[in-house]
Amino acid sequence: MIVEIGSFSLALALALSLAQALLAGVARIRRSVVLAGAGQGAAIGAFAGLVVAFAALMYAFVTSDFSVSNVAANSHTAKPLLYRVAGTWGSHEGSMLLWCLALTGCGAAVAAVGRDLPAGLKTLTISVQGLLGVVFLAYTVFASNPFVRLAQPPIEGRSLNPLLQDPALAFHPPMLYLGYVGMSVVFSFAVAALIEGRVDAAWARWVRPWTLAAWSALTVGITLGAFWAYYELGWGGWWFWDPVENASFMPWLIATALLHSAIVTEKRGAMSGWTVFLALAAFTFSMLGAFLVRSGVLTSVHAFAVDPTRGVLLLAILGVTAGAGFALFAWRAPALKRGGVFAPVSRESALVLNNILLAAATATVLLGTLYPLMREAATGEAISVGPPFFNLTFTPLMAALAILLPAGPLLAWKRADAQGVMQRLWVAALIAAACGLAAFALISPRKAFASVGVAMGAWLVIGALVEIGERTRAFRTSAAESWRRLIGLPRGAWGMTLAHLGLGVFVLGACFETGWKLEAAEALPVGGRLNLGEYHLVLDEVRGLEGPNYDAERGQLRAFKGDKQICAPTPERRLYPTGGQTTSEVAICTLGVNHLYVVLGERRPTTGAPVWLVRAYWNPWALLIFIGPGIMALGGVVSLSDRRLRLAAGRKAEAAA
Amino acid sequence: MIAFWVVAGVLSAACAGVILSSAARAATRAGAADPTTELYRRQLREIDDLADRGLIPETERTTTHAEAARRLLAATDNQAQAWTADTSLRKPVLVVAALTPLLALGCYIAVGSPGLPDQPFKSRVAAWRAAEPATLTPPEMAVVLQELIKERGGDPEAYGYLAQAEMASDNPSGAARALRRAIELDPNRADLWEGLGEVLLVEAQGDVSPQAERAFLEALKHDPKLVNARFHVGRARIAAGQRDVGLADWRALVAELPTGDPRRAAVQSAIASAEGQAAPAAGPALGGQLAAVQGMVASLAARLEDNPDDEEGWVRLVRSYAVLGDQANRDAALAKARTKYAANPDVLKALDLAAKTEPMR
Repeated sequence: MIVEIGSFSLALALALSLAQALLAGVARIRRSVVLAGAGQGAAIGAFAGLVVAFAALMYAFVTSDFSVSNVAANSHTAKPLLYRVAGTWGSHEGSMLLWCLALTGCGAAVAAVGRDLPAGLKTLTISVQGLLGVVFLAYTVFASNPFVRLAQPPIEGRSLNPLLQDPALAFHPPMLYLGYVGMSVVFSFAVAALIEGRVDAAWARWVRPWTLAAWSALTVGITLGAFWAYYELGWGGWWFWDPVENASFMPWLIATALLHSAIVTEKRGAMSGWTVFLALAAFTFSMLGAFLVRSGVLTSVHAFAVDPTRGVLLLAILGVTAGAGFALFAWRAPALKRGGVFAPVSRESALVLNNILLAAATATVLLGTLYPLMREAATGEAISVGPPFFNLTFTPLMAALAILLPAGPLLAWKRADAQGVMQRLWVAALIAAACGLAAFALISPRKAFASVGVAMGAWLVIGALVEIGERTRAFRTSAAESWRRLIGLPRGAWGMTLAHLGLGVFVLGACFETGWKLEAAEALPVGGRLNLGEYHLVLDEVRGLEGPNYDAERGQLRAFKGDKQICAPTPERRLYPTGGQTTSEVAICTLGVNHLYVVLGERRPTTGAPVWLVRAYWNPWALLIFIGPGIMALGGVVSLSDRRLRLAAGRKAEAAA
Repeated sequence: MIAFWVVAGVLSAACAGVILSSAARAATRAGAADPTTELYRRQLREIDDLADRGLIPETERTTTHAEAARRLLAATDNQAQAWTADTSLRKPVLVVAALTPLLALGCYIAVGSPGLPDQPFKSRVAAWRAAEPATLTPPEMAVVLQELIKERGGDPEAYGYLAQAEMASDNPSGAARALRRAIELDPNRADLWEGLGEVLLVEAQGDVSPQAERAFLEALKHDPKLVNARFHVGRARIAAGQRDVGLADWRALVAELPTGDPRRAAVQSAIASAEGQAAPAAGPALGGQLAAVQGMVASLAARLEDNPDDEEGWVRLVRSYAVLGDQANRDAALAKARTKYAANPDVLKALDLAAKTEPMR
């Protein structure tokens, strides 16, 4: 019964989304609070329906109810509980349900907490969000229903892809979807503002918390995905410019641009057309990602629904939704009011430059992702666009962005003093250059590009510290006064500094790791030794062991630096008999911020003593690659907690004071 | 079934209730002021606050303050007209609240399976346990045995039965796990070791892997007379290049087997083919594993004759014939099963898929 209740609730959510779109739409036309309230009620109801549906599907997964086709195809009784739960969103149908849960959740949140929004904007936003709900829920109910039943359930399920049975990956999709779908609210706000004909400073402030929340979730989601790829795929890398990675990265880049342009719109009332355009683009790129992953046009670990028919449907949804949004933009944008003027050297100009660079970077990623697909469709010839393309196009744009970044927050609004900013940053530039030179001189082998990268990371980190120093007048006034200023800084300022600092930490890690990573591979017998730079590994034994749903071989190694043992990695190679897949369980020794990364490969067939292919990587500063984005996301959350973004809370605080 | 409709009704009523109550609550908030002016006032206060604390320079305070003040003035002039609580619109809300569950019901009937109960794994296992063991398919039997072992703790016999059921369910790795457990409990039983060796043989598609060879050798330690173990150890030696040692093993084995024993002919033909002579008729079919597979398939066919209500059995039979390359029997079994399950498209699909399995070698 519970499964069918889930199925019914899903249908109920679809009907409620339709009611939400209609009631709120008519409410705007008739300027009726009664209809608007009814629309808000429907939005909350749709979300509640999806909560019930999602819980029902999770129940089916946890109890291994193989009469549900989706459970039979993606679960197994021997799977640990966590992965049975995660199986709920591990397949195409289940993840569509999660998508809809997030979508209706956002609609319900606007209805429930958006009390300070003007009635027209709020009601139209809820109506547009309802329409998005109708489109995606109809797709889920009629073309990807996770509750389809089997009259003859199989004895056992076919299990979830073992690569996906991983704690980081259990939470990667929910975070990513929260980010993707969070952009839907921003999209709905943009459409509502275009219909209302007002994109102003107030609108930008209302949109910013939603963008911040979605951006933070997306940052965490992408980082978890990269971390998973790093330790689960066993290739030693963390970013492969895989089309699906790019699919999640493009909305992130656009959302980052949007966060910055919304500040200009909020503070100066300028760039309103561009900000709305970015708000529409962010969700469009999210939908593009969903389409690429689910249509079968890509071959990748992520391409889990290889089904052209459903892909065409998704493409139609993408076309209609984005098409309608941008058509509305083309019609209404020329009528938007122009905002304040600003000089070529000003905070606004810096943010415009930031947006140009981020938009250009997104365009290069889009080209690198879609060009091979288009070419294959046109000529039938498959080509691969890999790191060399992105290194030549994307990296220079990001380098330019990184060079300009520390100056941005120091520039004054409207008209800034470039010379003054340079005076405040020259020490930072000097230290950064010294870091780069030191890296070039001291680290062997000598690498010019990686050293420049280290200088750039240092520049970003020190730049962020200089910015805080400037705000607190550190060393120019008394320590007590600086402290008073420091604790008085608004959370939004802290958020920005953390995000910029996080980027610097990431750049340091990424450049150092890419430049100076070491790799070695050899077929080792028991007792064999593998040299890796100044380190070496000894394979002590390989034992067979049984996991809950896999058989494994576990290597017991010891790692040495000189004569001193530094750790004892135990990599595994697992065979999942249910699906016949093999995975490697990488052993990572964290030494400070460095990683010693060991993979146990297959047993080589030999006539003598058995040997195993052992691969080892020394990934210096690799931890920073994942800590950096973590700091960035933390910055987003801190900024989100700024009471200025929560009008009601702010008002309460003032009343109390 | 009734419970389902009651819950569905309650959910529908709750949703209609949320719409109606939310509309009623909203009616009391009619005429609320446009919050835009308040927002700009707050922006002005923030600018002052930041400037007072010295966080932005005075010059910036002047310019941004002036701009925000202009925005505030513009917003005050353009105050959005307050919305009304038009009571005449209550009826349409009521209609939508009533129609929404009906629409949901329509969609649900189109895609759902009303009346189909949940089938959590636990309750299915309970049903299998309550059923007559002879009526269970091998995979069901394997599940029941696993449950029993989980409850009562296993003995080598129980694991042995489990291994048989797993093998019959086409799950050699499960059978190997069961046998390893059995061996942990009683490491001195030759039959368990030999069984493990044979299971590993199937897992390695008929090759004697080092693990299988170890298992057979262990079996022979406890019972040097085991025919299958001796045969496969011989195979392993020949494969490892010790042809003469392997052949000597086999010849000794032939000498010990009585003349009427079919295994004797099998070993002889294996010796013949290893010596490079054309093996008459027997071919690889009597290499031990294939013979065992053929025996299993024959017993499955016989069981289906007696007890034909076993769709998984039919699918497995068709697949087995396809794997053995026995087209005539495959087509006969497929035709029989297709007529039997003509009304069940899921089974037909599975049967057709099984028939398309590639033959070995």
